[in-house]
Amino acid sequence: MLGIEQRSVCEGVNFRSVKDTRFKTVRMSVNFLLPIQKQTAASNAILPFLLSRASREYPDFTKLGQRLAKLYGAELNADVQKLGDAQLLSLSAAGIADRYALHGEHIAAELSKLLCSIIFDPPFEDGLFPKEGFEQERRQTIELIDSEFNDKRIYARQRCEEIMCGDEPYGIKRYGSREDIQNLKREELTEAWRFLINNAKTEIMVLGDCDPAPVYEGFCEAFQKLNKKAAVDCPTKIRKQADQVKNVTDKMDIAQSKLVMGFRTQTAIPDERVEATTLMTALYGGTPNSKLFLNVREKLSLCYYCSSLYNAMKGIMLVQSGVETKNIEKAREEILTQLDKIKKGEFDDGEIDAAKLSMSNSYHTLSDSLGGLEAWYLSQTFSNQIKRPEEAAAIINSVTRQEIIDAANRVTLDTVYRLEGNGEEQI
Amino acid sequence: MNVIKEIKSDRIGDRYYEVDHPSGLKIFVYPKENNNSTYAVFGTRYGSIDTCFQSTEDREPNKVPAGIAHYLEHKLFESEDGDAFARYAKTGASANAYTSFDKTCYLFSCTENVYESLEILLDFVQSPYFTEQTVKKEQGIIGQEIRMYDDDPQWRVMFNLLRAMYHTHPVKIDIAGTVESIAEITPELLYKCYHTFYNLNNMVLCVAGNADVNKVLALCDKMLKPSKPLAIDRIFEDEPDEIVQSRIEQKLPVSTTIFELGFKEKAGKRRASAEEIAQTEILLELMASDSSPLFRRLLDAELINQSTFAYEYFEGPGYASVIFSGESKDPDAVAEEIKKEAEKLRTQGLDPDAFERSKKAVYGRLVSSFNSVDNLANTMASLAFTGHELFHYVDSVSQADIGSVQARLNAQLLADSSALSVIKPMD
Repeated sequence: MLGIEQRSVCEGVNFRSVKDTRFKTVRMSVNFLLPIQKQTAASNAILPFLLSRASREYPDFTKLGQRLAKLYGAELNADVQKLGDAQLLSLSAAGIADRYALHGEHIAAELSKLLCSIIFDPPFEDGLFPKEGFEQERRQTIELIDSEFNDKRIYARQRCEEIMCGDEPYGIKRYGSREDIQNLKREELTEAWRFLINNAKTEIMVLGDCDPAPVYEGFCEAFQKLNKKAAVDCPTKIRKQADQVKNVTDKMDIAQSKLVMGFRTQTAIPDERVEATTLMTALYGGTPNSKLFLNVREKLSLCYYCSSLYNAMKGIMLVQSGVETKNIEKAREEILTQLDKIKKGEFDDGEIDAAKLSMSNSYHTLSDSLGGLEAWYLSQTFSNQIKRPEEAAAIINSVTRQEIIDAANRVTLDTVYRLEGNGEEQI
Repeated sequence: MNVIKEIKSDRIGDRYYEVDHPSGLKIFVYPKENNNSTYAVFGTRYGSIDTCFQSTEDREPNKVPAGIAHYLEHKLFESEDGDAFARYAKTGASANAYTSFDKTCYLFSCTENVYESLEILLDFVQSPYFTEQTVKKEQGIIGQEIRMYDDDPQWRVMFNLLRAMYHTHPVKIDIAGTVESIAEITPELLYKCYHTFYNLNNMVLCVAGNADVNKVLALCDKMLKPSKPLAIDRIFEDEPDEIVQSRIEQKLPVSTTIFELGFKEKAGKRRASAEEIAQTEILLELMASDSSPLFRRLLDAELINQSTFAYEYFEGPGYASVIFSGESKDPDAVAEEIKKEAEKLRTQGLDPDAFERSKKAVYGRLVSSFNSVDNLANTMASLAFTGHELFHYVDSVSQADIGSVQARLNAQLLADSSALSVIKPMD
């Protein structure tokens, strides 16, 4: 197992790399973090998409695409996520390792150059992002927001988070609101870009079969040209307990109703009790041997899926299920009953071992994919100490029975969201 | 004594092993010694389309309810002495299964206890146990799985398209069946299907990752119950070459209109060759990837977006079609543009530069896919059932020439055989 190398590019910019030749590919990404705020969420969110579509050398979207195709189908991707109350704005490049190039091309070097150029040297026209690209990306971002409504499982989860964290920065959607995207002006984006590269906390990751040294040099050079100050702080607000349960029901013309329950766990990164909460969540509803799967699905036959999910950055836990409308209350009660059982210590050592083995398995598996490794290290950005997945697995393995009970007892129900079908009941 | 055949690729730099086990089972082991995880698939060539069949043991053809292959997949996890998930809980493996049109696969991924997990897999798939009571219990769970798909616009747009293209072929029926059809399933029918299709001569085991071929074989020697050779005739009604209808539309609670455009091809007993599949992949990359002129025209006209526009070659026993999909405010206009582009490429010929570039892109993405043990094991299983070989497919891509791709176009993407499926928002 190879370790992760860490270097600093400059104040606020970290460079992490894992060189591992068992991969046939390379993956590099530049990840900017800014506090998510209503006023800036939309202008920040569109930037990665705008930047990824052209560079000064390849100002035309199709020409850039053809260049990537020639580099054996290499990819440049943009992504926007939330990491706690921070907005995570990413640009990544991925392609095959040089040894697979049929004509001796230096793919990693080319990708690193391309990534630098799209981020630091956009093809400005009179100091602005080109109009055509801006309009295309604005339309496409609106369509991204709209399409999140199409998958009812994702939609219901987002609605629950929105209701639960409505008065916290986390309640802001990752792309900002549809209206804010619609109202974006091309003129404001140059400044938003400048702020992003100069002020965001930045994590650069280089993974896979390539020498990270020249990539590091390239980014050092790029950042030296900037007027980089200390990065903006990205605090995440942790509400420890729910005051009272928020109940919200929406109606929609769907065949299956969705139930999403949001809980506060009192523990979030960098709290040292995060691992205990992670394990408790797995035992509760994270595996096919968990309490939720065995009881709500298998014993009561109420649903196809019922699972729990812990967001360690924000300190919240969600339980999601898809059920018949008439069974929603039954499912809700059973979900709470199973949590109570953990609070009272009603679980055996076999359940603890199963949850530990399952977590250990998923953590060790992360290291077998570059995407998995990247997501893992990014999720650790705000930890006191960066751990390898294997180290985190070892800590989880040492969590005691009492720590699981304590973790469950810290949990309070905050929100119950129901998305109910209003069609006819069937069977 | 097992005869182990080594299959090597200098291009990929890997090798794997193929064994015809005396029990009748075909076994593939693809070692990746430095991987943490191992992924195993035990699959049968039996999917949702196999609803009418006659084996050498039968006097007459059997007609079984739609969705039974998928139902069987769910029920196989239970045996007389408990549930397979409970056994996997002791090894930490992450287990699952899936049923597609033409196969059912049981799988696990693990980083420890590889051979213990493999033993569980080989055991439970060979140990059917169905009773009235256990079969009935599953109706609630699968009923909810069907409901979930009823609300899934991506799933609906695809099956609507298949219904518009296919008159009689069971590919047009939902994989899980309907709430009505699964109500007809009995333990006797499940045993009938089990004993026909879970004959080891109709199955394959693929293991990729940190596993040793000799240890896998030793376990197979111990666990596999030899199967009597059995020939299965899968009976399909004659499928006309023509489509059923050129357009199909449904309204669902979605916020964006989505579409699938299919070009039906003649397909009989013969499956497409590796060369033909490679040619089609290159052709589609050339014609519709995001660096193609067609993509650019559609994007500039605001008819598609980058995050959803996609294409695939959908090919299986008795069916073959090229399918384009995505979101669009005007799917009919997209369909017209695609048909025009195909016609233009047919009459004007393919651009040699675009051909070389597309070939490189398809090759590069194929090389990248060799990182993933999940992908390797699943692909080997699919290829085994169609008689193709993994490394030969890589060569088919790298050796494709422009003439053969041009010739392929003459038999594909014919406007007369196209159907458009559209899901629109509710009024």
